[in-house]
Amino acid sequence: MPPLSSGQQGGEGRWQPLEVPWTHTNIPPQCVQPCCRPLCYEQSEHRLHKSSQMKMEEMSLSGLDNSKLEAIAQEIYADLVEDSCLGFCFEVHRAVKCGYFFLDDTDPESMKDFEIVDQPGLDIFGQVFNQWKSKECVCPNCSRSIAASRFAPHLEKCLGMGRNSSRIANRRIANSNNMNKSESDQEDNDDINDNDWSYGSEKKAKKRKSDKLWYLPFQNPNSPRRSKSLKHKNGFSVCTSASNTLPLLFSSSGELSNSDPFKYNNSTGISYETLGPEELRSLLTTLIFLFQQCGVISEHTKKMCTRSLRCPQHTDEQRRTVRIYFLGSSAVLPEVESSLDNDSFDMTDSQALISRLQWDGSSDLSPSDSGSSKTSENQGWGLGTNSSESRKTKKKKSHLSLVGTASGLGSNKKKKPKPPAPPTPSIYDDIN
Amino acid sequence: MVVSKMNKDAQMRAAINQKLIETGERERLKELLRAKLIECGWKDQLKAHCKEVIKEKGLEHVTVDDLVAEITPKGRALVPDSVKKELLQRIRTFLAQHASL
Repeated sequence: MPPLSSGQQGGEGRWQPLEVPWTHTNIPPQCVQPCCRPLCYEQSEHRLHKSSQMKMEEMSLSGLDNSKLEAIAQEIYADLVEDSCLGFCFEVHRAVKCGYFFLDDTDPESMKDFEIVDQPGLDIFGQVFNQWKSKECVCPNCSRSIAASRFAPHLEKCLGMGRNSSRIANRRIANSNNMNKSESDQEDNDDINDNDWSYGSEKKAKKRKSDKLWYLPFQNPNSPRRSKSLKHKNGFSVCTSASNTLPLLFSSSGELSNSDPFKYNNSTGISYETLGPEELRSLLTTLIFLFQQCGVISEHTKKMCTRSLRCPQHTDEQRRTVRIYFLGSSAVLPEVESSLDNDSFDMTDSQALISRLQWDGSSDLSPSDSGSSKTSENQGWGLGTNSSESRKTKKKKSHLSLVGTASGLGSNKKKKPKPPAPPTPSIYDDIN
Repeated sequence: MVVSKMNKDAQMRAAINQKLIETGERERLKELLRAKLIECGWKDQLKAHCKEVIKEKGLEHVTVDDLVAEITPKGRALVPDSVKKELLQRIRTFLAQHASL
């Protein structure tokens, strides 16, 4: 038996050689030491204990030994790198054997096809930007040629399957019914609307046929994208306002029918495009009211009387005063009975008017006066063409609220020459 | 005594390795190394080298041993310094933390 080289033999047990040849089964558990010598249980236990103690000592000792630590660190690092390399090798080998190792290789010719493009006007794939904008497609439904980028919305409306197409269709139907109705009873509309000036009734105002008369602010439901300005026959353009359904009827024809309240001088060629919808509305309502309404400003409410020109509450003198105040000294009170030709209407006065009038949307309706006469009869209204005279009264104007729609202007506008009223009237002096 | 010293070293190393594995630090380090190597292009370089080797040897006759023998030394050499430094730093930190336990 070889003597024990380790100095561990303590007094606990003596080394006793095993008589049985060393086999696996003979080895007591937990007895296998690094030197692979079979020991009895107690001895191995002792050894283990000692070695762990030593380990502790060693480890704490090694904390002081930097070079060793560094060496260990290097070793660990090398192990890790080797692991990675090996791992990589295995992957490659597998790829080779499975046949997918060379799959990502492309020949240089096809590589050129997919090179990044860096030219102006093209994206990196070489495609042209906006290529489809100019292209045109033929709609299968209506056989029209439509721009490609507009094709989808057009199809939506054409087939009637989009979200908005049903709404538009319904609106069209409603409006065409309205139009049919309005053509039949134009006369009635005049009466109804005489004493019911209110912005609320605008919505009920009937729309007239566009070839005879011109709508002012509206959106023709039949063509949702109608341009904003309607060209008058003689080149007179008017702004439209979508929200305001006030139809103003202008006609360039000489004869004034009941449905043509206005006649103006086409030669003035006024363009209203610069006026906003608010101003336009005020312009129109001003003119209309003063042609057809009493207009006398009540002292109590500071509002214009909305009754007809024959309103019993106010006198003609008062009415004249009001008109002069607004329109200048040459303003003439409209006459109910005389029939005159009104062929000059200075719109610049009206524009001055606009600046002086304040509008608010509230309505000051006089009770609907069924007894008042039809104002569809001849009325004369002459305005001074001299705009300088129209501003004689520079008083701070009161807050006027004028209401009403311009629909149903069934009265003729004719001028009767009258001497101008006395200048610089004070409205409030005359009103009692 | 020499043997014991050797044993000590060996034991120490064994202990440290054990600690590395137990705490999961070894795995983390491995992943970190892999990620860094991919980032820096080491893998692509090595792959290109592999392709050459394989083309030399012939696709059908490549063995693992061949590959390992050819690639591992190149792989070790190709690791960039920054990666090496960072990894060593982490190992040292670990050792400092756990060596006195």
